[in-house]
Amino acid sequence: MELLNFKKYLNQQWGLPNEAINQLCDGIRTKKVKKEELLLQAGEICKLTFFVEKGLLRMYALNEKGKEDILQFAPENWLVSDRGSIYFNEPSDYYIDAIEETDVILLDTEFVDKISALGPSFRKLNDRLLHNHIRHLNKRVKLLLGASAKTRYLDFIKLHPDVLLRVPQWMVASYLGIAPESLSRVRRDLAKENFKQG
Amino acid sequence: MSTRNIELVVPPRPPHFVGDGFRVHNFIPSSFRLTMERMSPFILLDYNSKFYFPPSEQPKGVGVHPHRGFETVTIAYKGKVAHHDSAGGGGVIGEGGVQWMTAASGVLHKEYHEEEFSKTGGDFQMVQLWVNLPGKDKMSKPKYQALNQDDIKSYELENNTGTIEVIAGNYKGIKGSASSFTPIHMYNARLQKGASADFSFPQTYNTALLVIEGSILVNGSEEVPTDHFVLFENDGELFEIKATEEAVVLILSGEPIDEPIAAQGPFVMNTKEELVQAIEDFNMGKFGYLED
Repeated sequence: MELLNFKKYLNQQWGLPNEAINQLCDGIRTKKVKKEELLLQAGEICKLTFFVEKGLLRMYALNEKGKEDILQFAPENWLVSDRGSIYFNEPSDYYIDAIEETDVILLDTEFVDKISALGPSFRKLNDRLLHNHIRHLNKRVKLLLGASAKTRYLDFIKLHPDVLLRVPQWMVASYLGIAPESLSRVRRDLAKENFKQG
Repeated sequence: MSTRNIELVVPPRPPHFVGDGFRVHNFIPSSFRLTMERMSPFILLDYNSKFYFPPSEQPKGVGVHPHRGFETVTIAYKGKVAHHDSAGGGGVIGEGGVQWMTAASGVLHKEYHEEEFSKTGGDFQMVQLWVNLPGKDKMSKPKYQALNQDDIKSYELENNTGTIEVIAGNYKGIKGSASSFTPIHMYNARLQKGASADFSFPQTYNTALLVIEGSILVNGSEEVPTDHFVLFENDGELFEIKATEEAVVLILSGEPIDEPIAAQGPFVMNTKEELVQAIEDFNMGKFGYLED
């Protein structure tokens, strides 16, 4: 598997030089994931963080009605995992599976040890990533609690411009916490505003 | 006039489903010598080889999706396809028919097995081609050209041994029924066993054929069976096909569009920036709206 995106990520996000990147990538675990194949199931303890080299993963939970609630989409260059399950070593409530055939890089504790050994900046950067994650989650809670379907949709297409093209609409509706009909209505209203025929 | 030789004979790759209604072998674009650049202006060719769909109350097909920057050409050999778009257009492509849709600045459309066909089930066989547009026409107004088999003018071969249906371009004085933005020749050659036909296109035109039914001998030497694709070299003008059994052959030849290609999913533009714009326009409803 080519690790082009992952190497770029290590360089740009972590500021690592080529030599260190090659060292980290040497013997790294990768996986080609088929459509709908599960990488994590509720009840398991999550041991890995998944970096998407190519393709599209999602993380979801089953709600009380047995329906899927999508918490996160992870297209190229995104990381997805159940951080809580990893850190507290407790069973996960979530599922992670592939929406498309996906090339995944599997980051385990050994990788974290290796990258920590590269220098003290790791901790600072990891802190930054974690806080960014919290910021993102808070914003998501805020939108789910109080924003209109249109506001949620407009925020979503900024974060994930091409996901709507790659997944069925009901998945986007699930992520936005709205009914598929509401998403259709938002898109129809936007088309009324913006579609100029001819 | 010199002979145009075969560069490559390509067997059908394992099929995959587009939506739940199209079981296609993808020939273009593929990383192995059939790239968009090599095949320009033909930037995609998906072939639903003859496949039996059992009766279904719910028509199978592909849901709402956008296109921008090119034309889609659907050629029906078996079965019927119904289509609808965000500009209010719609129709049915029947056997022998062709739908030439200029997506250009953008449409949303959906394609399903036609209702009656879906209910009875039957053999389904189609080609979908994407024909690129030059940059200056990529944002032109979308339009349709719907051709029934009767609308397509054809050239009769000597002794009634077959016909060359001229979808676009021209063949020996017969002008094609569909118009294109850049020079393209597209024919269905329907040949009886033993019949032969010759084709001459400018050397620079990218040229290929797909054997839909039967088998043929190309340039008197290469036997090409059903569902196989032939790419020709750009080393001459003239080639000949001879039906070793009753055959239907799709012939394609077009002047390459010498422009950069930036492609992502259903959008084919010249630059990355134009792709980003296409995605944003789609998200913001600028392609209109179409119910799933």
